[in-house]
Formats: sequence, C-alpha cells, structure tokens
Amino acid sequence: MMQSHSELSARTFVDVHAIQEELDQVRWGLHDGAGSEAAQHAAAEARASVLNLIAVVGNEPELGEISSVLDRLSITNPSRTLILLAQHTREADKLEAQVSAQERTESGHRVSTERVILHAHGEPARHLASLAAPLLIPDLPVILWWPGRPQFDNPLFDDLCELADRLVVDTDEGFNDADLTRLLEVARRPKARASIGDLNWARLIAWRHVAAQFFDMPAMLGRLAHIHGVSVFHGSDGSTAQARLLGGWIRSRMATVGIDVPIEFRPDDSLEHGVRRFLIYTGGDEGPARFSMIRHRGGRLSTHIRLGDQDVAERTVRLESRAIEELLSIELTLPGHDVLFEQALEAALR
Amino acid sequence: MAQAVTTPLSQNILRDGLILPRTPDPAAMVIFGASGDLTARKLMPALYNLALNRYLPSGFSVIGVADTALTEDEYRAHMEQAVQKFSRTQPVDRAVWQSLAEGISYVRMPFDDKSGYGRLAAELDRLDRERGTAGNRVFYLATAPQFFSVIIDRLGSSGIAKAGEGWKRVVVEKPFGNDLKSAQGLNQAIHSVFTEQQIFRIDHYLGKETVQNVLVFRFANGIFEPIWNRRYVDHIQITVAEDIGIERRGKYYETAGALRDIFQNHLLQLLSIAAMEAPPNFDADSVRDEKVKVLKSIHPIDVAKDVIRGQYGPGWVGGQQVPGYRQELNVSPQSTTETFVAVRLKIDNWRWAETPFYLRTGKRLPSRASEIAIQFKNPPHLPFAKTAVEELTPNWLVMRIQPHEGASLKIAAKIPGPVMRLRTVNMDFFYGSSFMVESPDAYERLVLDCMLGDATLFAREDEVERAWGLVDRIEAGWASQSPPPFPNYAAGEWGPPEADALIEQDGKRWRRP
Repeated sequence: MMQSHSELSARTFVDVHAIQEELDQVRWGLHDGAGSEAAQHAAAEARASVLNLIAVVGNEPELGEISSVLDRLSITNPSRTLILLAQHTREADKLEAQVSAQERTESGHRVSTERVILHAHGEPARHLASLAAPLLIPDLPVILWWPGRPQFDNPLFDDLCELADRLVVDTDEGFNDADLTRLLEVARRPKARASIGDLNWARLIAWRHVAAQFFDMPAMLGRLAHIHGVSVFHGSDGSTAQARLLGGWIRSRMATVGIDVPIEFRPDDSLEHGVRRFLIYTGGDEGPARFSMIRHRGGRLSTHIRLGDQDVAERTVRLESRAIEELLSIELTLPGHDVLFEQALEAALR
Repeated sequence: MAQAVTTPLSQNILRDGLILPRTPDPAAMVIFGASGDLTARKLMPALYNLALNRYLPSGFSVIGVADTALTEDEYRAHMEQAVQKFSRTQPVDRAVWQSLAEGISYVRMPFDDKSGYGRLAAELDRLDRERGTAGNRVFYLATAPQFFSVIIDRLGSSGIAKAGEGWKRVVVEKPFGNDLKSAQGLNQAIHSVFTEQQIFRIDHYLGKETVQNVLVFRFANGIFEPIWNRRYVDHIQITVAEDIGIERRGKYYETAGALRDIFQNHLLQLLSIAAMEAPPNFDADSVRDEKVKVLKSIHPIDVAKDVIRGQYGPGWVGGQQVPGYRQELNVSPQSTTETFVAVRLKIDNWRWAETPFYLRTGKRLPSRASEIAIQFKNPPHLPFAKTAVEELTPNWLVMRIQPHEGASLKIAAKIPGPVMRLRTVNMDFFYGSSFMVESPDAYERLVLDCMLGDATLFAREDEVERAWGLVDRIEAGWASQSPPPFPNYAAGEWGPPEADALIEQDGKRWRRP
C-alpha cells in the first residue's frame, strides 16, 4: 500500500477559544500561511470523522508512544483526538495546548485528522475534563482510552468517564483483582458510567471464535450441554487477566443455561505470556470428548477434536498478533455496553 | 461438577456476541473446471483467505475435477502457486495453506464421463468417512458454460446430487445462458436435479461491499427514502464504464457484446437495487422479490428510440494509443458486436412513473467508473433576485461503486460577498476514508454465503429470466435494423454521438463520472 503522512501545522495555545479557533482553521485548511497543496486538498473535501478520542498519558515518553499508536489508528478511525498529559503531582500550575493537523494518504485515500495535546501540571491537571469538553466534535461518540492502569481515585478519571461513552483499557497491563473489580463498578455505577472496552478481551476474539466453531458443527452441539470442565494454560509472568477472562467467558456463557463449569487455571513458567492452550472437556451419553486449541509461535492456532481415544478433526488457522492500534480499532467499532465482557469479567472475579 | 441439563441446547451459546459470521457445516466443495483460470485466480485464493480468517469449518474439503493430466500432488502444488500469486493477503501462511491443502484432492475426468462420476462419488464417500463432511456438498461449476448442462445431468444420473444425508448446493457462474430460451433451458436442466433453493447463480458484482453499501445507504438512513421517488427525482443515470478493451477475451466477447456481458447482469442489478422498494427484511427471498418487481415493471422498450449501440475504433486512452475493436485478437474485421450500449427506460410503478432511467456501459471509455447518479428536481422558485432557477446546477446524489467508493451530494451555496450569487459545491464521502480497511474479495463473501445457504446475493431464476427477456427484446429490435456504421466511437470517447442525442432530446446530459 502506498502511504504518506504529513503534519500540516502545529501551534501552541493556552486559551480554550484560541484552541477552538485553531482547530477550525486546521480542520478546514484555512490558514493564511497554509497555502500548500496538502492544505488545499484538505479544504476541498469534506472531513470524514467517526469519533472523538481522548487518551490520557502519564509522562512525556509515554506521550511519544501513544502518539504513534494514534497516528496509525487514524487510518481506520479518522477522529478528533485529545491527548491529555495530566501531571497533577508536579507543583507549579501549568496549562499548555498544542494543536496540529495530520494528513495521511493510503492507497489513494486521504484522511485528515486534528489533534490537541493538553499538558497540565498542578491544579489544572485535575480539571482537564473542563477543557476537553468544549473541544469535542458534537454528535460523535467520545472514547476515553486510558493506557496502563487507570487512576481510579483521581477525580479526573470520573470527570472523563462522565464525558465518555466508552472507556477503553488494557487489563493485560498489570490489572490485579482489585483493578478488575473497580473496572466492573465503572460499567455498573449509576453516575459517570461508561461502557467498558478491554484490549485484552479483543485479543481473545480468535480463541472465542474457534471455541464456538467446535459447536457450530451440528454433530458437536449436543456435547456442549455436557461440558464438565475447562483448562486454561497460560504463562505465569505478569498479569493473568487474559486467562481469567477466557475462563470467565465460558463460565458466564454456560451459566445462561444453568450449567456451572469448573475452570482449571494452569500457570506455567515455561510458557510465554498470555493464554497458550485452552481445553474443553465434555461427557454425556455420547462419550467423552476433548476440544483443544493450542497457540503456536508465528501467529497460529491449531485445533483438535478428540472423541474417546480417536482424533477426528484438526486444522490450523491464523491467530493474529494484533498491534495496539488494531485492538483499539476493534474496540472502537463495538456499540454500547459489551454485556458479554461484563459478564465474563464478573464470572472471572467469582 | 457440572449440573445436568434436561433439554439439549438448541443453539450454540458460545457464539453469542461474536460479530462474526456463523461457521458453515463441514462440507466438500467439488470444483468442476479445477485447473482453469477462475479457480486459480479467484476461487482458491478466496478459500485460502476464508481458512486463514477462521471462516471455514474443520473437515472442509475440496475435490478438484478437470480433464488436465495432473497428479494430486501436482494439483495441490499448482493451487499453492495460484494462492501465492493471487491471494489478497500476503505473504501466504504456509501452515494454514498446508492445513487447507490436506483436504484438497483431485479427480481427473472429462465432464461427460459417466465412470468418472463413480470415482467422484467414491471420493466424496471417503471424505464423509475420514473428514466428517456429512454428505454436505457444494458443486461449483467453474467451467465454460457449454459444460453446465452435461455436468448437471451426470450429477443427477449418477445419484451424487441426491445421495445420502446432508445438503447439496450448486453454484453456477455467469453467463447464465445467452438469451431467454437458453437461460430457461439451463434452468430447466438444473431444476431436473436441484430445487431453486439449492441453486446459487453468481453475479460477483453483488458480492462487492460497495454494492451492498448502496442498500445500507438507502434503507438504513431515514433521510433519503422520502425523496427517493418521482416527486423529487428528475432522472437517474447508471454507468458501468471500463477503460480497458476486451483484452484476450475476443472469442467470448464476439458472442456476448456489451449487452450480454454487462447490461444483462451488472447494470440491471444496479438498476434493481437503486429502484427497488424496501424489503421487509434482508433474507434471500424478500430482497429478491423486490428486485424482480423492478424488472417486471420496466415499461416495454422501443428499441429504435431508446437503445443506442456502439463499437470502438482505434484511439487514445490514458495517454496510450490503442487498437479498435475490430483489430483485437480473435475478433472479426467486420464484426458488428457492440462494445457500448446506452438504454433509456421507465419503470411503471407509483414510485417511478415517468421518471427516466439512463443506463450505459462500454469498453474503452475515457475512465473506469461504476456509479448510480440521481439528479433531483430543481426548487420550483428561487427567492433570490436576479438568480434564475435555470442558472442553478441541480442537486446530484452520486453513489460510486468504483473507483473511490462513496457518495457525493452536490448542493448550492452562496458565494461570499455583498451580491447574492450561488455556486454548486460537492459534499463528498469516501467510503475508504471512514473505513480504511481492506475489504474481502467478492468471492470470499459469496462462497461463504453459499456454504451457509444464504442466497440473498445470488440471482434467482425469475430474476435471470426477466433480465434475459429484456435483452432478447433489444436483440430482436436490433435484428430488424441494419447495424450502425461501426466503429462509431473512438477509443477514449464516451460512446457514439447518438448516445448523447438519446439523453439530450430529453433536455438532460450525461454526467462525466
């Protein structure tokens, strides 16, 4: 694919009206000094924007990383992006905004986006939501992406959740049980309630898809009612939230038809991080069966069905190792509350 | 321990919430014409990408059938090369290919060889036993059309099409007949073995994301439908323009022409989806019922007045000098085959009465473009002094299928300044800018739909026959006239001058797409 990326302008402001004015200027390519061909193109076409995205970062190095993820994300999700660098622990009050416009061309398509970086120290850092709100494009959904573990007790977190339609986190980033519980509370509280998206949940789509496919086969569907156990093998380093969620998912699904599934978690030092094997055991009149999924290096998943002592079906499919922007992109296209995720999370915490 | 359930599960609850298509039942796909171009370029790459993205079931198997001398290993190697060359995703994942290839076998036989069908039946039985395909079969006719009838006949007489358990479906590639009589004959032949619900007639145009998006555009947005009728629409232009010539397809094109190659299928499909009523739901029969109603409502065409044909001569396209149609490979130097056709038609129903539709398609036109363009009527009166309604460019809504899929709306705006001056501006929506993701190939969607038994995006018997009826009427009209002095447009022009006259006599002009 042919790609190009250019920054049309970048200026620094402190006043909300000045920022709004500058956003309009860059959005429509109206700068006096922006008579470049790129700016004229930007002005000549209607902008396709699908959402407002607010990302919260903790420090300058993180700002660089998140900015490049958002650059890549803008290809599939043209949006108004606000990056908040909120450092309330730094003493001297400071509030600074940088407005810029980006243009990307890929395979002949052009996407133009605007970005505002709001950098605050001290007290203004606690009230950044008041500055973010007027900078959003009306009538488009607001997604709050909080990389790392959110500061659940920071008032900024609640203020931003109030503003957002959806909060996106990555529970693979060191979430412990207390964090997972807080996350579930956010989805269920009456005020400042946002639907929750989790990049770790998006990583599990392939596992869930393949597990469901076993029982798409008419000959296998009957066995699902006789599920009597599940084993999740996973690496033991870092967060185990991914394994917990997968176990929570199958447990919560089966609970809808009154079946309680015992989940066995098998952490293993010799395995790489994340879920590596997922086994479903069924019994009943048709005899014992094992449905297994094994993750291999190189982004592949092999699946096996064993009926009694006979292997009946094997295949290999892709298990995409998705970049953060791809996972984010999946989460951004999901509508409203992800009830399945919330139920899986709840079951994982049980 | 798990609690016992008293009733079996009626549905797969693990599938809840997965925004992914259902997985088809394990099945065997028998591809007739397995060593041909279509299999190599489209079918096998589509199957590979479906496998890669986890859409194919375990045990899915392919039996290639052709009369080419190949061993099974050679056939698999040939298909692997095809996938490596034509897959839309690269590089090809060897392990995934290997997993798919394990289920690929090859039966060499002439399509009319009765004993060959015995070997095919044995191979299908083996797959049922060893790979759990459970009697589910897709028979894919990827051959030249002259073989369709004989293959269907042999599938019937050998018992393969009906044997045992499981579902049986047949996919028929276009062209589905070459006139109404042959289409009816083919339908009759297929119906002697398969029911209509088992037949999947492919028009790959309907598998395109952007064609489906026209339906979403019309029926998922409340603002368009109220003005989508004779009261507000002045006329509609549908264009399928190609800048290429006939490439190496001279032999086929000489017998087809633009009327059979594009008008009968792609153009009439676009007409149907632009003009149809909203179906009650998106199932196969509801959508196709509405499409057929459009074709039934087409007012009888006066061929002498309403149809223009053309043939390109030498000229320049995209800065390249190109030969005329009669100089192309396998084309007669006196050929009277049309490479361009423009048709004016009307639809006799309450929504469209007296609203003209102008359809055109051609080879070697100045650019490649497929679009449905709707011109709205001008406002009845302009309150702005010294600005006549006639000075305004009308509102156009254009749905572009390719290239640059999307929609644009042309609206009037005031030119800044003390004087009231109006100017037309374009509001453009590029599909690709909002969803810059790679769309699946049309064949992937259609193969998957067929395996799932969803015929919404396939042509139904009555639809195909209605379309051929229209083509026959035009052909009959042409047969009673002497052909125009071909060539009558130069490569790189928008068809012959008569095509301009056709629309200009109604006080309208063709859009430049």
